[in-house]
Amino acid sequence: MHSFTKNFLKGIIRSNPTFILLLGLCPTLAVSTSLDNAVGMAAAFTSVLLASNIIISLIRNYVPIRVRIPVFIVIIATLVTIVDLILQGFIPALSKSLGMYIPLIVVNCIILGRAEAFASKDNTTNSIADALGMGVGFAWAIVLISLIRQLLGTGALDLFGHHLFTVPGLGDNPVTIFLLPMGAFFAIGVLLALFRWMGVSTGE
Amino acid sequence: MGARKNGFYPVMLLTLIVFISIVALTLTNAVTKDKIELAKKDEIAEMLITLFPKMEGFTYDEKSDLYIPLAEQQPLGYAFMAEKSGYGGAISILVGLEPDTTLRGIRIISQQETPGLGSRIAESFFLQQFPGLAVDDVELTRKGGEVDAITGATISSSAVVEGVRKAILDKLNQLRRET
Repeated sequence: MHSFTKNFLKGIIRSNPTFILLLGLCPTLAVSTSLDNAVGMAAAFTSVLLASNIIISLIRNYVPIRVRIPVFIVIIATLVTIVDLILQGFIPALSKSLGMYIPLIVVNCIILGRAEAFASKDNTTNSIADALGMGVGFAWAIVLISLIRQLLGTGALDLFGHHLFTVPGLGDNPVTIFLLPMGAFFAIGVLLALFRWMGVSTGE
Repeated sequence: MGARKNGFYPVMLLTLIVFISIVALTLTNAVTKDKIELAKKDEIAEMLITLFPKMEGFTYDEKSDLYIPLAEQQPLGYAFMAEKSGYGGAISILVGLEPDTTLRGIRIISQQETPGLGSRIAESFFLQQFPGLAVDDVELTRKGGEVDAITGATISSSAVVEGVRKAILDKLNQLRRET
């Protein structure tokens, strides 16, 4: 179980997909406008990554190198479409606010990256650990970014329709730029600088 | 692995995987299709009730694309969908008309405007400006109409106004032609 724990933990900080590997920034920047979206995206992303890592690690010995990329893409695209249909049918509100970013998980380079760099080379147990670790790493990253953007951009904190609190003074005059795409770059840029300054760097 | 590297093996494998994924998708589609349809219908029905609180049910006329809310078998007005491109993509709007064709009100069914700015078109402070307007007054104040734009979201506000006005004019023309 030692390697399971190790493979799980590395995604959280040392090989964090967002802050260290800098993968999958497009969906991260695009949907981090509110906490609800961030939580929904993290859940959808983690389920797809987990399923794709399991399937790919199971069939890894049967896939010739030359066709591995099309095989991975077909598998990931199928999983994403399944998640998309299930969200549309059972949680339409979330599906509406995540919009086109669910289909875009197909080309999220974290998932293809983990398939290529990890699941195609390691056993299923380790691949599950890797997927869960990367999922948690992606989740806290996108939640942190969306928390900053929502707090500064709206001056208040809402989660799934519940109003939590309003920042005094900011509620009436929010810094709306943080809700726009450029605000996403400000937030992630400052966070990246902060992590570098704290000495967190790639462990691979 | 020798035999697997060459010849038809990669082709067969890819074909097999595509086939399995087709089966998986067909199954998922079969399970979720009705749910998705239902979710879309529910959404329109819910919005219709907020426009016509007395409504007991509604009929949908496919030919004219009109929703007709009913109470005691009597129509309460008309409702139909309007669509217009905003700042972040298509905005679809449910427009409700009184029997005398003044505006009953509008509801935003879906939009991808900037959260916190353009997305406020779906909030009541903006929507409450619409009930009771005549078609010609559905225009931003600065252009001589009766609707105040949302600060910082002029494109979104004007998309709603334009979309609604055009949809009403189109529908009125269509109804006139039919009668």
